[in-house]
Amino acid sequence: MSLFAKYTEGWSFRTNTPSFDEGDEIAVFVTGVEAGTPVARVGDTKLRLPDADPGLVDKRVLLRVTTFDDDAHVGEAEYLETVGESAF
Amino acid sequence: MSTDQTDGITDDFADDGEPSIEFYGGKLASAFPLVFFVVWAIVQSGILRIGATTGLVVGMLVALILGLFLVKGSWTGYANTIFEGMTRKVAATAVVAWLWAGMFANTIQTGEFVSGLVWAADAAGVGAALFPAVTFILAGLLATGIGTGYGTTVAFTALFFPAGVLLGANPALLFGAILSGAVFGDNLAPVSDTTIVSAVTQDADIGGVVASRFKYAIVAAILAFVGYLVVGSMVSGLDVAGDAGDILVESAEPLGLLHLLSMAAVIGTAVAGRHIVEAISWGIVVAFVLNLVFGLAEFSDMLVFRASEDLGIAQDLAFLPFVELVPAGETGVAGSLYAGAQGFFPLIVLTLLIVAGAQIMIRGGGFRAIQEWLLNSVATTVRKAELTMVLGTAFVNSMITINTAAEIAIAPYIARLGERFNINGYRRANILDANTSALGYIFPWSGGVLVGYATLQTLPGEYDWFTQSMVVNPVDVVPFVFHGWLLVGVFLLAALTGFGLEYTSDRESEEVARV
Repeated sequence: MSLFAKYTEGWSFRTNTPSFDEGDEIAVFVTGVEAGTPVARVGDTKLRLPDADPGLVDKRVLLRVTTFDDDAHVGEAEYLETVGESAF
Repeated sequence: MSTDQTDGITDDFADDGEPSIEFYGGKLASAFPLVFFVVWAIVQSGILRIGATTGLVVGMLVALILGLFLVKGSWTGYANTIFEGMTRKVAATAVVAWLWAGMFANTIQTGEFVSGLVWAADAAGVGAALFPAVTFILAGLLATGIGTGYGTTVAFTALFFPAGVLLGANPALLFGAILSGAVFGDNLAPVSDTTIVSAVTQDADIGGVVASRFKYAIVAAILAFVGYLVVGSMVSGLDVAGDAGDILVESAEPLGLLHLLSMAAVIGTAVAGRHIVEAISWGIVVAFVLNLVFGLAEFSDMLVFRASEDLGIAQDLAFLPFVELVPAGETGVAGSLYAGAQGFFPLIVLTLLIVAGAQIMIRGGGFRAIQEWLLNSVATTVRKAELTMVLGTAFVNSMITINTAAEIAIAPYIARLGERFNINGYRRANILDANTSALGYIFPWSGGVLVGYATLQTLPGEYDWFTQSMVVNPVDVVPFVFHGWLLVGVFLLAALTGFGLEYTSDRESEEVARV
């Protein structure tokens, strides 16, 4: 990212329900477990990780979005790898 | 759909070989050391108005000792957790960055940077109405260079305040403009202690944090500048006979402005993505060379070994620019590099101890208990989570008036609450630092205001014409810290509207990327 872009990034009103496309690979924190399934909550959007280990909560993981419902702001994703930890 | 973020969480501390600590009184009792420290800090800094950081160090030490008595069974786990907390990367990173920042700040101050700003103010020849607005910009510039709002407040209250009062500027407005400049630099400078803490506790690189913070700071600063222009032309000052120029000219040195280059070296390299140690090292080198080449400071002003004049080998080496002979009882090392690093020693020790206290709260389950309550009852949506983060930092800063200490105490919650909504580390760092920087110079009992007030009280002894009635009472300056208030307002609006919000998935901070 250029020096200029670092200053101009984020000058916008960001939605509380971000959307994702099928096939998107994103690195996010696994934020909780719902009905036994790990969930990565991004804002108020939820990505369920059906095959992932519930022990991944508060780990930063790389995942690939497999389905996404733009109206309900929910989707499913597959866990690829763990890439980081919580800051605390 | 349930928004419960916490069910099903396994005990992530039980299976990693680390001790879990049980307390008499349950999980929340593990918060005792930190709560005791907060109470100590309120009594010391809020009620008794004693700003000494080393006093807080003792408070945290006593807190850790008393906490032992609440532990069920063996005390070994508790003791080991103190070590575990102190050796966390977050503490080590802050310590390293502070040491470097301290050396840099002291070296540009030794190199007449303040005198350069004084010269600029005098050369601009501004009148009473404009003076507060110009003071805000110059104080902001100094604070962005040296990273310490307290240091800026002292320097500007000693020099610009009496000059402005003589010009006919309104004293309370002028004091507010100085504090506003301090807020600006404390918030934005890459070498500011609060900037460093906000970045490292949120796993973000300092340069990226500064760049991403610019949008909030500049919006508030432009409005504050306009505010000082408008109010400056509306309110009247005092009628004092004297020449403001005399005060400024006495300590003006145009070459001091060369240190804008030293600042540019740090900010440029940091924002370009270089490690903060590398960025500040470049700044130190540039400042050091500028000081020597332009005669702004002697070598010995920056580093000097003061050896005993009775020592033979010292006499032989006395020709070196960094060796000085002194009476036997006065030996030591001195200079801006020494003083700059040393100035941070109390805060470094305090930070290590607070992080140890936080680790005890994590191991004892208290941290998670409060986190679960926040996530299930208060921070149930991303907007509410951000609002909780903004108001939480405001609340803690209203109690712990030494703003860096307050910031360290609340940082783990900002990190965890934000992570649970995948709020980007840059955004979390910005929310954490805004109120910390702003409120530390607004509340009448806060460290920044008291430091300025203490300096104001020395002015009647300094100038014959300066009477006690010209000293601004800390309560009177509260409405005039425009940049502070506007920064708080900008972040409240940002939390409510999503302005500037970025998610973890939007971009990675470079520190994280390197890991």
